[in-house]
Amino acid sequence: MLYLELFIQGIVQGSIYGLIALGLTLVYGLLRILHVAHAALFTLGGYIGVIVTNFTGSFALAMFVAMIVVGVIGMAVYKFAYEPILHRPPYIALIASIALFIASEEIYRIVFGPFGLSYINPPLQGQIEIFSGFRLKHGEILVMVIAVVMLSALAWLSANTRTGVAWRATVTDPEMAAAFGIKIQNVRYLNFFIASALAAVAGVLVALLNNLVEPTMGSVPSYKALAIIVLGGLGSIRGTLVAALALGVIEAYGTIYLGKILDRDALAFAFLIIVLMVRPQGLLGEK
Amino acid sequence: MMLEVRGLGAGYGDIVAVRDFSFSVEAGKVLALLGANGAGKSSTLMALMGIVQQKAGEILLDGSDISMLAADQRIKLGMAIVPEGRRIFPDLTVQENLVVGGHVSEAATLAAGTAQAYEYFPRLKERTGQKAGSLSGGEQQMLALGRALVSAPRLLLVDELSLGLMPRIIDECYEVLAKLRSEGLAIVLVEQNTEHALAVADEVSVLEAGNSVWFGTAKEAAKDSAITAAYLGTA
Ligand SMILES: Nc1ncnc2c1ncn2[C@@H]1O[C@H](COP(=O)(O)OP(=O)(O)O)[C@@H](O)[C@H]1O
Ligand SMILES: [Mg+2]
Repeated sequence: MLYLELFIQGIVQGSIYGLIALGLTLVYGLLRILHVAHAALFTLGGYIGVIVTNFTGSFALAMFVAMIVVGVIGMAVYKFAYEPILHRPPYIALIASIALFIASEEIYRIVFGPFGLSYINPPLQGQIEIFSGFRLKHGEILVMVIAVVMLSALAWLSANTRTGVAWRATVTDPEMAAAFGIKIQNVRYLNFFIASALAAVAGVLVALLNNLVEPTMGSVPSYKALAIIVLGGLGSIRGTLVAALALGVIEAYGTIYLGKILDRDALAFAFLIIVLMVRPQGLLGEK
Repeated sequence: MMLEVRGLGAGYGDIVAVRDFSFSVEAGKVLALLGANGAGKSSTLMALMGIVQQKAGEILLDGSDISMLAADQRIKLGMAIVPEGRRIFPDLTVQENLVVGGHVSEAATLAAGTAQAYEYFPRLKERTGQKAGSLSGGEQQMLALGRALVSAPRLLLVDELSLGLMPRIIDECYEVLAKLRSEGLAIVLVEQNTEHALAVADEVSVLEAGNSVWFGTAKEAAKDSAITAAYLGTA
């Protein structure tokens, strides 16, 4: 039964990774930017989640507010940080992104204090017995439900709406998309909004599972999400999700079986190195 | 005059691709733009769509200057492009490519335009749900044409229709062009294949290194072997 328990724990963690890393893939797919500062938005989502829940008592409202606010801030990041340097080589945007990320940690420290915040009455702490001796918190179940619902909704929208089709057309050939009247600018804003809102959701959920949000909450996810999108095959949405879940599961097993030799957070990179040796294009990457 | 271009200059950053280019087309007519590789034909068409940067001149559609309008406005006014190299969206299905073609259109126009495209190219209809990237070259060209027709354009810009296609497919595409012209569309046709272009064109303009060097009717161009030899590389 331990195997199964670890597997389920891994899926929970992998769902979180998926919510974070998907945003990176969306940004990379459209603009070829490695958006490290994405993890700063994840942290911000956590802060908003805790603060709004503590003020209003409504976790659902907190989730909603976090998505909207962080989504809009993500659009602003595009507008003010990336758009002015889009015509420069990609590493310039990468450097800007790293700078933004480091600055954000300090800003959070100043604004929200160095010690972190917690939910006063942490919601969704009840447990359900999945099978004898193995329990999941409501919060952990919520993580999986939210990941499935949100990603399915996005998949449906991208396949079945004109905006979704326009977005996919823009990813493959922005100039041609523009020649058919698609407003590339709007596609980019939408892309950043969705990517950032997903990161916010992940932030709220992580803050819930740990009952803590602190300025450095994004530092491990920032590089782990990079490993995940490379692992999945840069730009591949399906690859990102597969890699996220795989990493979650591998970490769950690895912590138990390899914990003495390899730090949990180093596993991602060991896994990355092994996969890239066999498949340099990543799990589901092309070519 | 449906389209009248006066003194068009266009290019990429500091690179000038087209200089002081003037021409016009009216409804139900085909203007062929001929010229060697790199002469500036594609840049001209893309500048007309508002994608390549216009640096000088005026683009008059039904008498009013559209130079400042974005592509979506130009499409709403009745322009559409069949770009060089087809540039269909390979990851999208045939149907989705057509949806992009009608992106700025009302739902009713989109539905009617899609039906129209399938009517012109029944082979696309059989492949609606298929990824466009899996189509043959000829089918991709049909899709590129169909995609441009979805918005029900009055002015069609067509770039290298025959490039890399089998003769039978080329004929099929040109039949559709002829039909479109007879329905009153104005067409600007870029071609390397002079023979095909002259067969369908009413007037011809020849570009060389970004400059207009010859203008006349298709009949004159066909007769004047010096034109074809000098500018088009065929005897
Ligand atoms: N994206 C681009 N960036 C810079 N220069 C370009 C670009 N596309 C075309 N050019 C240049 O513009 C000129 C005209 O090219 P083009 O319009 O493609 O000619 P044609 O279609 O007649 O073959 C050429 O000198 C070409 O090198
Ligand atoms: Mg060309």
